[in-house]
Amino acid sequence: MVTPVIEEQTSRTTEEELAKQARRKELISRWFWRIMGYVVFLGLWEFASGRVLEENLLPGPIRVFQTLGDLWADGTVLPAFGATLTRLFIGFGLSFLVGTIVGVISQNRWWDGFFKDATIISLTAPGLIWVLITAVIFGNRIYGPLIAIILTTFGLVTINVYEGVRSLPKDLIDMGKAFHVPNAGIQRNVVLPHLAPFLFTGLRFGFSIAWKVTVLTEIFASSSGIGFQMRIAQTLFKQDEVLTWILLFFFFALFLEKVVLQAFERRYFRWRQAVEAA
Amino acid sequence: MADIKVEHLHKEFGLGDDKVVALEDVNLEISGHVFVSIVGPSGCGKSTLLNIMSQIETPTSGIVSITQDNREALRGYVFQAARLLPWRTVMDNLLFVQDDPGDAATQERCQRYLDMVQLGDKTEKFPGELSGGMQQRVGIARAFSVEPDVLFMDEPFSHLDAITARTLRAELHEMWKATGKTIVFVTHDVGEAVELSNRIVVFSKGGTLEDDITIDLPFPRDPADEKVAVNKAAVLKKFEELDLVAT
Ligand SMILES: Nc1ncnc2c1ncn2[C@@H]1O[C@H](COP(=O)(O)OP(=O)(O)O)[C@@H](O)[C@H]1O
Ligand SMILES: [Mg+2]
Repeated sequence: MVTPVIEEQTSRTTEEELAKQARRKELISRWFWRIMGYVVFLGLWEFASGRVLEENLLPGPIRVFQTLGDLWADGTVLPAFGATLTRLFIGFGLSFLVGTIVGVISQNRWWDGFFKDATIISLTAPGLIWVLITAVIFGNRIYGPLIAIILTTFGLVTINVYEGVRSLPKDLIDMGKAFHVPNAGIQRNVVLPHLAPFLFTGLRFGFSIAWKVTVLTEIFASSSGIGFQMRIAQTLFKQDEVLTWILLFFFFALFLEKVVLQAFERRYFRWRQAVEAA
Repeated sequence: MADIKVEHLHKEFGLGDDKVVALEDVNLEISGHVFVSIVGPSGCGKSTLLNIMSQIETPTSGIVSITQDNREALRGYVFQAARLLPWRTVMDNLLFVQDDPGDAATQERCQRYLDMVQLGDKTEKFPGELSGGMQQRVGIARAFSVEPDVLFMDEPFSHLDAITARTLRAELHEMWKATGKTIVFVTHDVGEAVELSNRIVVFSKGGTLEDDITIDLPFPRDPADEKVAVNKAAVLKKFEELDLVAT
């Protein structure tokens, strides 16, 4: 009776090992294609620069990375990011607050009617409209970007919060009541975890729009930030600097998406991954 | 072991044309180490009665008191669907309903009840990783783990396949015997009621209490046993007399 047990165990370990190898292979090939994407794109860009288009109009990646080094060295990069991020965090922070409040009170049908069309306009109107209007009204003052960010993103937060609150799991809340769980415990263990994915969706998409709107407002009406630097470089016809700022913009957006938000997701939605894997 | 008193209980939902009477002047007393089944056709107010007794809903009028030695009795509830928090592990689902989840003795007790339903090795799993039968077992362990004076169960096995249901029924009966609780068990399955309970309370559509039957047979009861079959037939006959058979 001993032999079959051992056999079963060995076959299981080899199975596990095979699965592990397959996963590793999959990972390697995914990274390979991802890096190939970069290599091909940068190669084409470098090739086109000076051949397809004049180098002044399209500086190649090597030039742009050199310019990035120069800008970093003379200390323009960090203050510009600081200014942009400050506007972004204050603006989107306020927007998140406004959107959450509107989403919660819209459960009442009078308030729902009151805010309904405003929410839809916020969702559909291009950010550029608010950027232009607030630039005329407020000029370089901070209110312009803040209001533009709030108007373009609160609707996204609102619809997500609205859906979250509307779909609150009554059966689980009742379960808590039946077991004498105090209200605070129900809020913390049932209501908040239920709302978390809705809040997260609002956060993620709202933030990506807020980020674009912030840079836009800086292009039109500001004397600091990434958008402002792009405008200066553009008026001075420093195309390499324009591209450098655009590149920085991409890097940062990728960093937020791949590192910050995904880490957050892994931490708070572990249960979903476990369930999906099962 | 709790004392349950229900007096002139009346419950309506909705207003005007939408008004539904779920319970109509219900009077009921339950006390001691008994297993009481509430049977009746679907829509006759069984769940509503349990929900009012467990304070999920409030009565329109009438009095419900559930006490244990002159204090409010501690309640447990097993629902038709397991009603587990999908974002908490099995163990954390049990701890959620405890007074003192940080207490080592509490955690040990939760572990013991999970062992009892044969899920002692699944404590760190999330509910979505378990089968329907296992989830229902977690729901049962959760209800026992608060060591309630009275345990309400609302068709807890109706979503399960016949074999799992039979196993869980046997386990439940063992736990009822071992822990000496008052159990109020809702079902629309007369066979299940006869197999499990000392007493069967029959409701009819419109939420009126029609009959109160004592089943005086020793446990465990085999559904194939002749006496059990005779009792089941008798209850079913009452159903026919009351015109409740339509399902
Ligand atoms: N929350 C509710 N709102 C409106 N009507 C309800 C509600 N809950 C139950 N009812 C109605 O009350 C009656 C009894 O329901 P229920 O207690 O669920 O019956 P049972 O559990 O016996 O099938 C049914 O007619 C049902 O439609
Ligand atoms: Mg029911």
